[in-house]
Amino acid sequence: MSIFSKLYHKIDERFQINDLISFMKKKEVPLYRGTIWYYFGGITLLLFIIQVVTGILLLLYYKGSADIAFESVQFISAKVKFGWLIRSIHSWSANLMVLAAFIHMFSVFFTKAYRKPRELSWYSGFILLVLAMGFGFTGYLLPWNELSLFATKVGTDITKTIPFVGEYIMNILRGGEEVTGATLSRFFGFHVALLPGIFIFFLAAHLIFIQRQGMAAPEDWDEMSDKKKINIPFFPNFMMRDLLIWLIIINVLSILAVFFPWELGKKAEELAPAPAGIKPEWYFLFMFQTLKLIPAKLSVIDGEVFGVMMFGLAGLFWFLIPFWDRKTPRGKKWYWINYLGIFVIIFILVFTIIGFIT
Amino acid sequence: MDNFIKKIIINHGHISYLCLTVLLFLIPASILSQETVSKDNCLNCHLILDGKFKQPAVLFSSDIHFKKGITCSACHGGDSKSDDQDKAMNKAAGFIGIPHGQQVLKICSKCHANEFNNFVKSVHGQSNTGNGTIINNCVTCHGIHNIVPVKSPSSKVNGLNIVKTCTGCHSNASYMRTYNPGISVDQLEKYKTSVHGQRIFNGDSKVANCASCHGNHDIKNVKDPQSRVYVTNVPSTCNKCHGDANYMKEYNIPTDQYEKYKSSVHGIALLEKGDKNAPSCNKCHGDHGAAPPEVESITKVCGTCHALNEQMFQESPHKDAFQKKNIHDCAACHSNHGISKTSDEMIGNGEKSFCIKCHANQDKGIQVAITMKSYIDSLLKEVNLASYLINKAEQKGMDVSDAKFDSNDIKKVLITTRNVIHYSNLEKFTGSINEGFNITNKAKITGEESIKDYYVRRIGLGVSTILITIICVALYFKLRKIEKKRT
Repeated sequence: MSIFSKLYHKIDERFQINDLISFMKKKEVPLYRGTIWYYFGGITLLLFIIQVVTGILLLLYYKGSADIAFESVQFISAKVKFGWLIRSIHSWSANLMVLAAFIHMFSVFFTKAYRKPRELSWYSGFILLVLAMGFGFTGYLLPWNELSLFATKVGTDITKTIPFVGEYIMNILRGGEEVTGATLSRFFGFHVALLPGIFIFFLAAHLIFIQRQGMAAPEDWDEMSDKKKINIPFFPNFMMRDLLIWLIIINVLSILAVFFPWELGKKAEELAPAPAGIKPEWYFLFMFQTLKLIPAKLSVIDGEVFGVMMFGLAGLFWFLIPFWDRKTPRGKKWYWINYLGIFVIIFILVFTIIGFIT
Repeated sequence: MDNFIKKIIINHGHISYLCLTVLLFLIPASILSQETVSKDNCLNCHLILDGKFKQPAVLFSSDIHFKKGITCSACHGGDSKSDDQDKAMNKAAGFIGIPHGQQVLKICSKCHANEFNNFVKSVHGQSNTGNGTIINNCVTCHGIHNIVPVKSPSSKVNGLNIVKTCTGCHSNASYMRTYNPGISVDQLEKYKTSVHGQRIFNGDSKVANCASCHGNHDIKNVKDPQSRVYVTNVPSTCNKCHGDANYMKEYNIPTDQYEKYKSSVHGIALLEKGDKNAPSCNKCHGDHGAAPPEVESITKVCGTCHALNEQMFQESPHKDAFQKKNIHDCAACHSNHGISKTSDEMIGNGEKSFCIKCHANQDKGIQVAITMKSYIDSLLKEVNLASYLINKAEQKGMDVSDAKFDSNDIKKVLITTRNVIHYSNLEKFTGSINEGFNITNKAKITGEESIKDYYVRRIGLGVSTILITIICVALYFKLRKIEKKRT
């Protein structure tokens, strides 16, 4: 018996690892042309893990105060060994994580994987996406550079338009009426403590749901002949496929981090005039651009208030899909759902592109 | 006889005017011209009055206005034609008596509209006592009843007299303190020491007086950009006379100062870049005490702004040598009006060197200059190399902000070193330039290391990518094997 086998045996004796492996071996994943979409959940998870690891490393040097935040990031990039790489990977993986989460969400949407019995997976997944965007929004301000300061001003200003409680929410977010050093401290707290705490809870729930329920089979799975129904074991087959993709993602991420290091820009000055070209992160761009194009006044209501309310309602409507899509769980095809999804994707793409080029 | 006429006027009223007129016809022409008597009854009467009543009339008979046929009533109102005192000096008919303040301006502006318009916009026209009363008007400078043409030697505003007229107020400290406590009152004293002042007091009316530079009716505050003596306007104001070859012919001095100044570092700074701290003519020559700086004072003049250079030069061996040979210190190398941007070519033994003007090829001085030049050239080469390496590293995406920031000090060192040349002391020079070499070496090392680091990163990335790819390939084959086994 080798030393590894002995060690494994001792651990198994105490923690029953074999039970877990046999559970995973029994668990199967449908293999069909849509299997590729299953990987995006795993990719999102990998990028989140990278976020946590690089984030903890950045925390060793980052200072969350307006006086020295910028300088501390500068120090990380210039002086800390591999600091430039850690920071660049953190920034790139943050963006790729949101992208992977969006793809994951749309793949679940189009494969109708939200249908019974996976409603809670959809709800928890949607909340995780919103939290990931919250991570992005709060993290964007942390280097305390010119663009992030003004983008945060614009972003938090939008919350003011929420009827009745808007101003109150804006003040809570900003830690006052303006975006100041207090906002930075607050966002730092949200980014490294509050959001991770909530995120971990929903992530755990999301992963438990998936482990308990397994991967959702395609809509027409039951109608398919047994010959066509191919399943692969979750362990080791699917896990190895996942691992293969994870390694490719790590490769892509390191190439991006080395060839396109994340820029730091100019230090933020609270009293300086806003520079040209203030834009939020790309995943907020479609909303930002839409709000910009809505006229200032629409009949009796402010254009911006109308826009924010519409996005709020649209988000709620999207969130509640398992609730109002009653046909799919009964095995009926409802193509309008697909048309809606295509419309949403085109809308997001078009307005993001307009936002980029204008 | 005057008393007799006066008694008649007072005792017999207007009837007596008739007799008086007849009598006046009999007065010899040496006392009154027939023309006067026939046109202006105000003058006729006042001439025969006493003291303060007579004096204006006597003065007025030589006034330019009187000679042009303007009567007393043109300014004082009333009716000059009437021989009846009550009618002539009737307030209801417009008689105002002695005009004051704004009234004077109003009266003069009836004919001298342009002058009035300029005056009201001028510093004098806009200064008042605080209660709205203007502090000066036309008569302040031109006089009252004895106004004569400006060109007349007796005019208060004639070239030879205007200095006295202006300094009547401007040299009066207590008067000036009331209205403008910040203004100096030593203009006359300075002017007396100037070339302009010395010539004017010897009767040369061509040289600059107060009005030549400040203007006359339209004098503006020196801080007003429209003022002829506003800092950026001074060169063109001086050039009006000093650039006119014909006008300056008899003085036998150059007239190309303005042209030279315009293209000089000072001229470009002041006139093109609008740097109001740059010197105009008066910063070096003085304003009211304008004179060319002498050999002894030229270093002091330049040292007003270039204090450090002055101090260095004073300690240099050049100071005594220049004095002995009567060489204009700073101007010897830098010129005067046409000071051009300095260059490193000015030292050493090259064609453009100024050192070779005095130094022989092998003497100690030229050797020091050659050494200094070679040090500067080497530093510049090192600076270029360092900057090339830093830029190359930056282009490769490396963070070299610290090195770039430190490199800014090289500029400072170069400026200091180039100034230290004024000591003409090799030891002090090398002490200064060595700091530059240290900074450059540090920047070069940072640049080289950053470039090296860039390649290390690439190699690191390559190695990790290859390793991960190998693992990926191995995994892929393992997966295929497992899945083949399964099927």
